[in-house]
Amino acid sequence: MTQTREYGRRVQQTPPDYSLCAGCNSCEVICCLVHGGAVSPSRRRLTVRRDIRTMMHTVYSCQHCADHPCYDKCPKKGTAMKLTPDGVAYIDESECIGCGLCHKACVFDPPRINYVKSAPKETRRARKCDMCFERPEGPACVQWCPVRCLFVE
Amino acid sequence: MYGYVGKIARIDLTDGTVTEVPTSKYVPENIGGRGVCNRIFWDESRPGVGAFDPESILIYMTGPTTGTGIPTGGRSVFTGISPNSFPEQYAWSGIGGMVGAELKFAGWDGFIITGRAEKRTYVCIEDGRIELRDASELWGLLVHPCQRKLEELHGEGVQSMVIGPAGENLMRNASITTSNDNVAAKSGFGAVFGSKNLKAIAIRGTGDVRPHDIEKLFELRLKMGNPYMRPSPLRREMTHGMDGNEIPVEGGWLRGQVACSHGCNQHCNRLMVDMKSAFGDGRINQVEKCVGIFAYGFQEDCSWTPIQNYETERNHFLACKMLSREEPAPDKDDPHFEALFTPVRGDITNYWKPDFDKGSVMMDMCNEYGIDKWDVIVWFMTWLSMAKKEGLLDDIDFGMEVDVESEEFVKYFLDMITYRRGKYGPIFAEGMARAVRALGKEKYGDTIYRGRYSQMTGERIDVPVSLETAWGQSYHWQGRGFEATINKPGWIATSLELMNSTRDAQTVAHHHEKYENYLEYKDDPCHSPLLVESIALDENKAEIKDSVTCCDWQSPDLYWPEMEAEMYTAATGIPMTAELLDEAAERSRLLFRAILIRDFGRDRAMEVNAIFPTMLYPDPLGQTVEWDEWNDLVDIYYERRGYAAATGWPTRATYEQYRLGDVADALERIGKTPE
Ligand code: SF4
Ligand code: SF4
Repeated sequence: MTQTREYGRRVQQTPPDYSLCAGCNSCEVICCLVHGGAVSPSRRRLTVRRDIRTMMHTVYSCQHCADHPCYDKCPKKGTAMKLTPDGVAYIDESECIGCGLCHKACVFDPPRINYVKSAPKETRRARKCDMCFERPEGPACVQWCPVRCLFVE
Repeated sequence: MYGYVGKIARIDLTDGTVTEVPTSKYVPENIGGRGVCNRIFWDESRPGVGAFDPESILIYMTGPTTGTGIPTGGRSVFTGISPNSFPEQYAWSGIGGMVGAELKFAGWDGFIITGRAEKRTYVCIEDGRIELRDASELWGLLVHPCQRKLEELHGEGVQSMVIGPAGENLMRNASITTSNDNVAAKSGFGAVFGSKNLKAIAIRGTGDVRPHDIEKLFELRLKMGNPYMRPSPLRREMTHGMDGNEIPVEGGWLRGQVACSHGCNQHCNRLMVDMKSAFGDGRINQVEKCVGIFAYGFQEDCSWTPIQNYETERNHFLACKMLSREEPAPDKDDPHFEALFTPVRGDITNYWKPDFDKGSVMMDMCNEYGIDKWDVIVWFMTWLSMAKKEGLLDDIDFGMEVDVESEEFVKYFLDMITYRRGKYGPIFAEGMARAVRALGKEKYGDTIYRGRYSQMTGERIDVPVSLETAWGQSYHWQGRGFEATINKPGWIATSLELMNSTRDAQTVAHHHEKYENYLEYKDDPCHSPLLVESIALDENKAEIKDSVTCCDWQSPDLYWPEMEAEMYTAATGIPMTAELLDEAAERSRLLFRAILIRDFGRDRAMEVNAIFPTMLYPDPLGQTVEWDEWNDLVDIYYERRGYAAATGWPTRATYEQYRLGDVADALERIGKTPE
């Protein structure tokens, strides 16, 4: 990750002195539900990393890099990985071939593209945050986090 | 299939085989969770099996809402023969965390564990694949190091259920722990894991859970959590404790609120940050729910506010809002406002003075050893305090001077019993009910403690040094012991619920009643069909909560009786009403009772004799119950349930009414139907 990278609007977690993540995983669930109706660790587009010892949890989501290296690496870019007019890279699941190259190209650790390698080939897809660009209300995770510890920056 | 994922795993630890049972064999008839467990146990167990025998079956089930995002559906349940019940009996134990959802993502609605592994073992579930693995690297580890080790072995994010040294050493009140320090503790199933050489279950799932009606799901998320939560910052608190146990904390302490289970819309668990650990110099975070606060100081019992049990249309709110201190402002125009919101102070107990660090160490030891906190705080420690003050311990040598005010002693004692050290470790590892009998109950259990005073009357309250109620459990909202300050109609109800059960029923059946009903029977609760109706409602709702699943802190809502049915239908798409769910609850309770009758000798004499003596000690107003009064109430209750008055056994007609003719046939063959 370079210092100079620029990011688009993205979902961020508030500091705990504003609101502490309750660790309920509702954001993951809601994200799955608004994108296809099934809840699954393979389908979420953001990840709550649970610390089993401290019980303080961290939410990781796509930072929407302005230069979108994930998009660039997609062998079907423009078809499987697409860009909204605002420059948000998103995946059209019906076109995604599940190669995982976008996941590999993510500059973050952990990668912000959810890609479950062990999933059966027929259902293996990459999934990433699309900022819920089709929802007039905006990001569903932000809207439904019970303690309002997510926001858009 | 919506809601359910379709199969249950049968894991035989003796021969290492795993087979699949279709969930559809049991649902929708038995709903899920505890309802399914009860059917499986009835079908597969038999009389004469002890909790620690290889034949002892341990069943774990999720509900159709688990993993769907329907609030509180993350709860799940174990059932089996409880080593902590006295005598051993079939019981259940609820657990939160992420583990139920993860199991469903792996494609399983639950599992049935049978047999005993020859070597120390853990079960690894990765989607459809279930394997037994060598647990020699895990055995002996404390709870959190064991969870960490499983993350090392299976990668971050793996969900697990583990036991600590208490379970390994067959301590009868050992817990099974999952994330956020959620435990299945009350029934001592951690020791059943230990007896099966089973240290842990690690789960990773990548599959789908599909709720049927997503629009309805979102509606439920709004309505069930109402009013919706606010931002919840980590706060520095300058004091800790409640009522007479409050103390200033130098420099303050950091409090957050965290959720207990997957997809919940609340955060009732209090996260305590940077607390003193019992192990080494490090600081730890831990969660505290209701009983934990008394580890820190127990000079005064919990106060009681009638709104905790009695509700009006204008004043009722989710119990979870109390724990996170987010109760809505009360409606003061309610004519019952004063009566509902006037708190009653708990008894002066004089058990131990507040000590923030010692309390933290006690909690940490329970968490890491995997022991039921309830038994430690409310029973072991109160007994040590009272027995010492009454001079009963003068001729007992624990190897260290008994002093519950001392952190060193608390550590020493919990260490001694967890590892069964010395002469007394093995005795107390059997739990208090069995320990006081081994020592001599008359002296060590029944001696009256002379240090407890009612703040309502100013009078001394005669409680015994061992706070034992029925079935080897400690009192809970029963007018004596812990959370004693509930009025007589309240403790009559909770005691009847315990009588019908095999363990503390209050953790999933906190008593809820409409205040208008209470006013009808408050002067003569033992002759009230209305009170019996509210008991039946709370008992049935408990069954429903553990089956659908949902949480005791959000259910029941007396003014939204369809809530659980709406949750069920949103998850499964199967039409459901409150009446149909109530019928399923009756069926589940009948199966539970049939198991007790067939395998554990349950009848009227057994249960009345188990509960009645525990109510002869006075409540904080000096009230008790008469033998005839109690039996009148039992008569009304049995009639309401369709049990024969003389035996307490359900009649054939009752079983048949709930499509359990096969159960009636089986009981009739062994002479255990009243006809
Ligand atoms: S919904 Fe909010 S509180 Fe719950 S895990 Fe996500 S970020 Fe944390
Ligand atoms: S903004 Fe939408 S797509 Fe992105 S993580 Fe949140 S819910 Fe998922």
